[in-house]
Amino acid sequence: MTASRILNRKNKGFTFLNIIGLAIGMGAAMLILLWINFQWSIDRVYPKTHRLYVVGQQDVSTNNEIAVWFSTPKPMAAVMKAEIAGVENLSRLSGINGLLFSVGETKILSKVGSFVDSSFLQLFDLPLLAGNPSTALRDPSQVVLTEKLAISLFGTSDVLGKTVQLDSTQQLLVSGVLKEVPKSSRFTGYEYFLPWTLMEKMGYSDEHWGNSSVNLFVEMKEQANIAAAQAQLKNLIKRHSEVSTQSFLKPIKESYLYNTYKNGQQVGGRISMVKTFSYIAGFILLIACINFMNLSTAQSEKRAKEVGIRKVVGAPRFRLIGLFLRESLQLTAIAGLLALLLVMLFLPVFVGIVGQEVNIPYLDIRFWLLFVGFIVFTGLLAGSYPAFFLSSFNPIRVLKGRFQQLHSKFNPRKFLVVTQFCIAIVLIISTVAIRKQIQHAQDRDFGFTQDNLVYMMEVGDMKKNYPLIKHALLERGIAQSVTRMMSPLTERWSGWNGFTWAGKDPNEVIQINRQSADDQVVATAGFTLLQGRDLDLAKFPTDSMAAIINETAAKAMGFKDPLGKTFNDGNDQYHIIGVIKDFIQESPFEPIKPLVIEGANGFMNTYHIRFNPKLSTEEALAKTEQVFKEYNSAYPFQYQFVDEAYAFKFMETQRTGTLASLFAGLTIFISCLGLFGLAAFMAESRIKEIGIRKVLGASVFSVTRMLSKEFLLLVSLACLIAFPIAYWIMDQYLAHFSYRITLSWDIFLLAGAGAILISMLTVSFQSIKAALANPVDSLRNE
Amino acid sequence: MIKLEQLFKWYSQGNNRSFVLKDINLSIEAGDFVSIMGPSGSGKSTLLNVIGMLDEPNEGKYYFMGEDVLAMKTKKRNQLFQAHMGYVFQSYHLIDELTVYENIETPLIYKNLSSADRKAIVSDLLDRFHIVGKKDLFPAQLSGGQQQIVGIARALAGSPKVLLADEPTGNLNSKQGEEIMELFTQLNKDGVTIIQVTHSEKNAAYGHRILEMLDGQIK
Repeated sequence: MTASRILNRKNKGFTFLNIIGLAIGMGAAMLILLWINFQWSIDRVYPKTHRLYVVGQQDVSTNNEIAVWFSTPKPMAAVMKAEIAGVENLSRLSGINGLLFSVGETKILSKVGSFVDSSFLQLFDLPLLAGNPSTALRDPSQVVLTEKLAISLFGTSDVLGKTVQLDSTQQLLVSGVLKEVPKSSRFTGYEYFLPWTLMEKMGYSDEHWGNSSVNLFVEMKEQANIAAAQAQLKNLIKRHSEVSTQSFLKPIKESYLYNTYKNGQQVGGRISMVKTFSYIAGFILLIACINFMNLSTAQSEKRAKEVGIRKVVGAPRFRLIGLFLRESLQLTAIAGLLALLLVMLFLPVFVGIVGQEVNIPYLDIRFWLLFVGFIVFTGLLAGSYPAFFLSSFNPIRVLKGRFQQLHSKFNPRKFLVVTQFCIAIVLIISTVAIRKQIQHAQDRDFGFTQDNLVYMMEVGDMKKNYPLIKHALLERGIAQSVTRMMSPLTERWSGWNGFTWAGKDPNEVIQINRQSADDQVVATAGFTLLQGRDLDLAKFPTDSMAAIINETAAKAMGFKDPLGKTFNDGNDQYHIIGVIKDFIQESPFEPIKPLVIEGANGFMNTYHIRFNPKLSTEEALAKTEQVFKEYNSAYPFQYQFVDEAYAFKFMETQRTGTLASLFAGLTIFISCLGLFGLAAFMAESRIKEIGIRKVLGASVFSVTRMLSKEFLLLVSLACLIAFPIAYWIMDQYLAHFSYRITLSWDIFLLAGAGAILISMLTVSFQSIKAALANPVDSLRNE
Repeated sequence: MIKLEQLFKWYSQGNNRSFVLKDINLSIEAGDFVSIMGPSGSGKSTLLNVIGMLDEPNEGKYYFMGEDVLAMKTKKRNQLFQAHMGYVFQSYHLIDELTVYENIETPLIYKNLSSADRKAIVSDLLDRFHIVGKKDLFPAQLSGGQQQIVGIARALAGSPKVLLADEPTGNLNSKQGEEIMELFTQLNKDGVTIIQVTHSEKNAAYGHRILEMLDGQIK
């Protein structure tokens, strides 16, 4: 029997459902596997991956918890190379953004690039189209550009030795052209690399052991004893300074997936996401296979008669087994091809949701082997039951039509339906819970006024012209207030545990975030002032050494009446002039940390402008651009809305939520396809009974109810099993968030009711159809 | 009790009509015992189905207990027939998953009788047909004759005025067949109108009158 004949058979509805269900399941699983494959490849693409390490630091923080981070003090690199056995090579990396490149009239503000040591290109074997990787980043006059940036600047990638101007100050020679950095490298998106020596020349470098600000990558020798190196490294900083931080090596291949630390211990990270999604892929595939088996066995029982006849005319058993397996394989092959088509079709959508480049590895033989292997596996699995079970029947019994085992108390098909719905319900609950969690955090009072507020980085002449810019913005009625700050309101750039104040317990470690602002910060940000006043540099010149703190900081410092109190940040003493209500600077899912906003004495690099509400946003932006054209003409006008920056904080969780709902939807859909087919099969196999009951006076309603009841019981059972599982999973997931919802019964009720409703709608269509049929047709004597 | 006038039933095949029932005129009084005979495809089962309103004619009049059945609303017609008709089938059509007791009880459930009433009626029938000992068995555990007795008991559960039987002995051996016919005779004596379709001359003879059918017509 050929596949085309199976498709054309009277049961083509069944067959269609069967193939579609399997194709969707396979497609979804393939998408997830492609994504997982990509996750696994991140930072594992370098030829020397297994010998590369990134240097991490740890130290005691607030509440004696151990904090871990992956930036290092700049002097560490040289000392490490000299003192740690087994180090082959190393390179620092200090990210920069907002550098202006110009070639003649072409000006490009490049967002992502970094200063690196001269060994950087060799360490990671980033391939150069032109230039010598060992010397390309040695002199302060050199720059390595990506091919893309080179083409945008020069119109060609043949630019070795040409001159490019950096900001208004540096003339650099292009010493290397970089091929596009692979998507699975942490350096993807970097557009240029500048020599460390240039950074020193520009005066950005420092030798402070207490300032952890650059990444440090190390290549260990092939034979290096890593444990010994770890031991040597541990107290390296302590040996050279007063700083108590400890250091360690982390394999670079683990740095992306195993990125979360709790109290100094590695506790998962992105790997848990990868694991979760591999389970989901497995489950969706399982559900689709269950469907396929369920539907094909249901159908094959109807073919018992065919089997009987074939046996009577002399077909040996192995031929029958072959027949069923071949048919099943043909169907899975069709489904597999359809799945591939679906994946191609929906890959762009999926890429949009996950925000990462995921590709089908058409050229990878392993992909195709896996693909074919899966088709064969599913085909054999699904075909095995009819093949071995049906072919074992006594033909006479089958032909006499006494082939009945449909309504036994335990039926593997029922078990499969329960399993399916169990998984679907767990996914629905997860989806609802994640959505609620996001909503919960979005509803949280963020503590400042987000609209009409933009920020921008200080570039070019902005620093020099700041007073003029500020004056123009206020004078022309564009802005209500302007504040120069250390970092965007929604970002934390700085903080340490070295603040001191009168009455501080010397044994207690308190980590405090640091921000700085020159003037009118409460007005610009729209903070709620609880005590004291705003920074006002014009009226009180001493406000450059003043500070505004948040509620949590006041509590952490133990100040009952904080106004007028002082604290020390290193050698600088600040006096507190105001207390603001807590606002969300970091994650909306975490508790708010203590924060001090120091006066104009601090480092400042970001401008915040609160627009005049009388102007429309377009108007305000156009006029602001005009001001910057006047005072910072070399640079393109760039800005960011604070509300958009804040919304960005939800992106990763929202992605998870979208993916979870996508897959929950698919699972439910596939399960319902299966249920639909199964209900049709059940109704058909009970058609005689339905006829009898109708003749005996059963109404359409009572027949529908009878047919649906069984499925209702199965789905309800699935709910009962799914609830505790979902509770356990979501409890684990939500534990990642400090600011989180409690799992309430209504989520479960909603998911359960949803599953029951959807399944009943699916089933009742078939039930009603069966109940409406004329009993005479089904009761006609054969 | 039953009166059919100029009854036609046909199937359309393209432009052709193939008639299953042609101009049937028939009157059956209460207490009658009618046997319908004829070769396969002569329309006797269809006629029985139409009398039992399991099937509708395309044309003609049908009066049951003086009422115009075809003019009635479906719901009322169903109630009328559910209350007054019982059906017996050649292949018994018992529900395999239910016990003898439950099979007999089924029509009573659909009549919304209370559980106590149902119990009384079913016990009475089990008694009457001497199958008390088999009440917890499933159809598959009974012989064909016994299954048909259960089928008849079930048909009688609703105390119908008319019993419609489509080849009730068709799947039985002659001895079992005789028993069923004796049962029908006894029921008829108790006042039940019986209409049966049969192939067997011998069984047909149990009836008060015999209708011979050929090509959809009564001879």
